[in-house]
Amino acid sequence: MHQTPPEQHEITELLAKWSGGNQTALDELYPLVYEELRRLARSYMKREPKGHTLQTTALINEAYVRMVDQKNVRWQNRNHFFAISAQMMRRILVDHARRYLHKKRGGGAIKVSLDEAMIVAAERSEEVLMLDEALNNLARMDQRRCQVVELRYFAGLNNQEIGDVLHISENTVMRDWNLARAWLYRQLGG
Amino acid sequence: MSLERWQEVSGIFKLAIELEGEAREAYLAKACAHDESMRDEVSRLISSHEKASADNFIGTPPYAEPNSSDAEGRRLAIGQHLGRYQVTEHLGTGGMGEVYLATDSSLDRLVALKILSGDLAHDKRRMQRFQQEGRMVSSLNQPNILTIFEFGEIDSLHFLATEYVDGKTLRQYLREKRLRLSEVLDISLQICAALEAAHEARIVHRDIKPENVMIRHRDHIVKVLDFGLAKGTEPASVTHATDSEVATQFKTAAGIILGTVNYMSPEQAQGHRVDERTDLWSTGVVIYEMVTGQVPFSGRTNSHTIVQILENEPVPLTQAAKSPVPEELQRIVSKALTKSPDERYQSAKDLLIDLRKLRKQLDVETELKRSIAPSLTERSSTTTSNIAAEATIETAPSSQKVKIVKLGILCGVVALLVVGLWALNQRRLTPRPSNAPSPATTELALIYSVTVQKYRDNKPFDPPFQLAKEMLFESDYQIRLNISSQQSGFLYVLNEGPHEKDQPADFVVLFPSPTSNGGSALVSESQPIQIPEKSWIKFDKDKGTEKVWLVFAPNAVPQLEPIRSYASPKTRGLITDAGLRDNVQQFFRSKAAAKPSVEESVERKETRILSRNDVLVHFIDLEHQ
Repeated sequence: MHQTPPEQHEITELLAKWSGGNQTALDELYPLVYEELRRLARSYMKREPKGHTLQTTALINEAYVRMVDQKNVRWQNRNHFFAISAQMMRRILVDHARRYLHKKRGGGAIKVSLDEAMIVAAERSEEVLMLDEALNNLARMDQRRCQVVELRYFAGLNNQEIGDVLHISENTVMRDWNLARAWLYRQLGG
Repeated sequence: MSLERWQEVSGIFKLAIELEGEAREAYLAKACAHDESMRDEVSRLISSHEKASADNFIGTPPYAEPNSSDAEGRRLAIGQHLGRYQVTEHLGTGGMGEVYLATDSSLDRLVALKILSGDLAHDKRRMQRFQQEGRMVSSLNQPNILTIFEFGEIDSLHFLATEYVDGKTLRQYLREKRLRLSEVLDISLQICAALEAAHEARIVHRDIKPENVMIRHRDHIVKVLDFGLAKGTEPASVTHATDSEVATQFKTAAGIILGTVNYMSPEQAQGHRVDERTDLWSTGVVIYEMVTGQVPFSGRTNSHTIVQILENEPVPLTQAAKSPVPEELQRIVSKALTKSPDERYQSAKDLLIDLRKLRKQLDVETELKRSIAPSLTERSSTTTSNIAAEATIETAPSSQKVKIVKLGILCGVVALLVVGLWALNQRRLTPRPSNAPSPATTELALIYSVTVQKYRDNKPFDPPFQLAKEMLFESDYQIRLNISSQQSGFLYVLNEGPHEKDQPADFVVLFPSPTSNGGSALVSESQPIQIPEKSWIKFDKDKGTEKVWLVFAPNAVPQLEPIRSYASPKTRGLITDAGLRDNVQQFFRSKAAAKPSVEESVERKETRILSRNDVLVHFIDLEHQ
């Protein structure tokens, strides 16, 4: 009697295709996931009282629940969804940080309208942009450790969840994190 | 750095940081024996690692605090006025915003003020719908639905003024203690009663969970909050809906999903259209949690939980609970937690009926266990049948002598009184969960006292005196019950003789009586009733415990109406029809667990009985020495 909305089928299917090695599917997924996360994040920022910070994992979970037909998805696909979402959260934050810094440099009054609620903390905008660049460099050498940082820093996953997504042990996640963080710290001049 | 180099560096780094001091140095020396630059590289990395750790570098996400430039972030100050409301206390932060206790100066009453957050407040359509549903559900005047007084907007601050409930949420209750089965049933029944009324008005709650259920301290009345707030969880038509619709849906959904998915029905978790039956699922989850202390479906993440909801059957209640659970409750919860809405309970009423039946059944069992014990152990040697045969009720002859009603019955015995009260349903501590009038206006009080006359050699000895309630009677005491109520109603008084556990009891009808009140069971308000009228109940010489049942109800009690035909001198009040006797016994057993409250006033020498049930039933044990 109830029909799953076509979008859920669509996204579920795209996830499956991508898991099967279809890169075009991924290209189609990115904008959908990006939009969804951005919307949720903005909504969250407008709704929550001060003192709360964004719970990214919850946000991604929510996007997943809303976008993917839970009955017809395999766990593998969920992991892929999280991996994509972490990348998308990174992009959202970087976009915000860039826009903020652009306005700031432009010398105009920094007025963030309700609609453009800031998701990234103003004082950390620089950090986000620099980290983004450094992560690009890291990815060239070491894709997995870059992902660990993405999943933890941008997507807010804990080590266990990251291990699930990347199919590695929690210990390995911890080691990867230590190494990537040390390397990034040096890159950022620390 | 080349890829191979990076691999090597990271391999050494990985092991090195798990070592300390000399061990680390020794390891590095060995691992980089022929490569100074490698050693420098790793050492710098280790040093960065230590500094990054100490700085908590990228240790927290870079997210901003939520934007709160709008009204929803504004906190009201204590003492602040908002229209006619004056804030007196901050009560907490609800799902939709801050909640305050305030005084409504125009009506001088306490209200709860809920400040609606900007998201809801700025969405005109949704706000309208919420107001409309809120008003509608509130106008049902169902005692288990929180009453909304006003939707207001002052200085762009949207708020809701509601009835203030001095109590705790069910969530707080669950944290503090494990609920008894009777409490679980009381709370569940009241939630169902609220849902039944709302569903009849075609309003679906959509977010039944312990946070949205409050229990009032004073009387344990349950109030279901936030009807209509969770509107809009239908599937988001990402591509087809207008932008504002999509935004609305996501915002609403965010409010729920970011909170908890544990109480969501399968159809709701999938974003499908939901109807009344989703609330019955959620109620099932709440009952399960009340009984076992845990929700039936949970996972590491929301998505794990949702898969559980969609695919798994919960651990049966009877296994998950720490104490025994009736099979019937297991059946009820399973039916509420059926994945397909079509196979689930179809209405709150159905669920309500099953829960009521179960409670009734448990009440009977409880009473059976409790009632039998005392009278058996103290049995006299007199047999039931002998007692019955000797029962007499003498009506007053024309002489002005004190008439004696002799219950030859038993030995010790007797007396009693009663009275009743009247009230809503079969419940003891909490009020009835249906559409019945609220207890405050319908609770009745019945007052009784006992007049005692000592006798010696069949002659009065000392003047009669009055007692507030039963006492240990000596064999030559005779007594009379004085009963009155401020309400009119039907009064029945019966004496149950001592009997063996497995034997039927004998019952003697004391009221109505052909010689009293014109033979009618209906007594007017404040009409004094004497039982027996102008006469006495006399105790037997034998020992034993007599029970006197007092029944009072606003309407005639069908189960007891047939006893009238035995209230005659001919039968001396004894119910001789075995079928009727059994029915009467059954009736008392089923009612006995719902004990009214009893207040004794020593000063006024009377006892007041209060009940919220539909029939007040009280018994007095009279032990005769």
